[in-house]
Amino acid sequence: MVDVSQHKLVPEHSVVDEDVLEGILDEYDIKRTDLPKIKRGDPALPDDADTGDVITVVRDSRTTDRAVAYRLVVD
Amino acid sequence: MTEYDVTDDVAAIVEDTELPRRLKDEVYRTIEDRGGVTAEEADEIARAVENRYVETRVDPLDPVGTVSAQSIGEPGTQMTMNTFHYAGVAEIDVTQGLPRLIELVDARKEPDTPMMTIHLEEEYATDREKAHEVVWKIEATKILALGDVSTNVADMRVQVNLNPDTLDERMIEPEAVAEAIEAELGVETVQRGTVVEFGPEQPSYRDLLQLVEELRDIVFKGIEDVTRVVIRKEETERGEEFVLYTEGSALGNVLGIEGVDGSRTTTNNIHEIYRQLGVEAARESIINETMETLETQGLDDVNVRHLMLVADIMTNDGTIQSIGRHGISGAKESVLARAAYEVTVNHLLDAAIHGEVDDLNGVIENVIVGKPIKLGTGDVDLKIGSFSETAAKPSDD
Repeated sequence: MVDVSQHKLVPEHSVVDEDVLEGILDEYDIKRTDLPKIKRGDPALPDDADTGDVITVVRDSRTTDRAVAYRLVVD
Repeated sequence: MTEYDVTDDVAAIVEDTELPRRLKDEVYRTIEDRGGVTAEEADEIARAVENRYVETRVDPLDPVGTVSAQSIGEPGTQMTMNTFHYAGVAEIDVTQGLPRLIELVDARKEPDTPMMTIHLEEEYATDREKAHEVVWKIEATKILALGDVSTNVADMRVQVNLNPDTLDERMIEPEAVAEAIEAELGVETVQRGTVVEFGPEQPSYRDLLQLVEELRDIVFKGIEDVTRVVIRKEETERGEEFVLYTEGSALGNVLGIEGVDGSRTTTNNIHEIYRQLGVEAARESIINETMETLETQGLDDVNVRHLMLVADIMTNDGTIQSIGRHGISGAKESVLARAAYEVTVNHLLDAAIHGEVDDLNGVIENVIVGKPIKLGTGDVDLKIGSFSETAAKPSDD
């Protein structure tokens, strides 16, 4: 199949380490379930991502140079 | 450190601000253009820009959703109601204007006029012959494009006279045509050169006509959903190259075809993007498509942030949800908020039957019951009083 991550519409996805995530959730004062979601079967998901992991998406932003977003992997 | 010709002091000052990269670059550019700006002056410039930037940021508890709704809604009223079709790129009919915008926010499973923009890999993109090879792999080839069909009622036979030039051009063998007919219609065929003949098992006039009818629908080559492909020479970021525009969309099939550049090929069907490329790509695509729709209507002064918010909300749960009572609004927790939107009685009735409780946490339900909303100044409590200097400082709460 085609490598989805090469598509210009697909931003970079990567799994967030648990200890880094802790800091992020603290900073925003939210629970991990408050994050936007991404489906387990999403074609752009990295192979090592599992349900319950949080992934970070680094978007080429229209309003600033790079925008970092987070999504929780759900079934 | 920076690509701009500024002193290290100036760079340190600018880098120290809260500005995003793009604004920092602009500050550098301005300082560079002025020439001979001292560190103090640079500091003053950077501070002024930073202050302005911080001022324009959204404050906590600002109702951004409401502002977005108004900022998209008002220009929307100026859109022509019935620009249903408009010859878009390359003579392909594409839905534009208000109907397209509605289609996007409603997250319709299939757009009214699906289309793809297919970019080609380098060696295919510059060679017309090779580009055409790709076209034939994509465009659905039916029997009428390949030759003439005639029915011989006396012998109860269907005769297909294939055009050798067309077969050659589209790289289809007459044998392949015969095989496809046998597989699709379940009949025995007789093939001699470019003539293919077949008929119903039992002599029946009805069956004969039925076969002809079914024959017209067989796709001999290409992708069934793609009815037309237009090839155009265009100036792109990679120089002059051939770009294909299609009527009909099947991104999944097209991405696998040899010669297609899988990194730049897109469709206007957001669900196909979602299936093939994931939710983040779908989000990007929603922003691009809505912005483009507004731009072609001369409403390009709608700030892209509003559309980004719409796309964020639509893709929040990892799938594409529509804006409206089947999607976002219908998923609201509050009964009153849902009832205020559409089909009020049904929502109230269902809520009553299931014994739902409304906690009055949101905006709409508090407007309904006449309580202050938890937005802006409505969310903060101010207490006037005094405290002695020795007592503890007030806490952050």
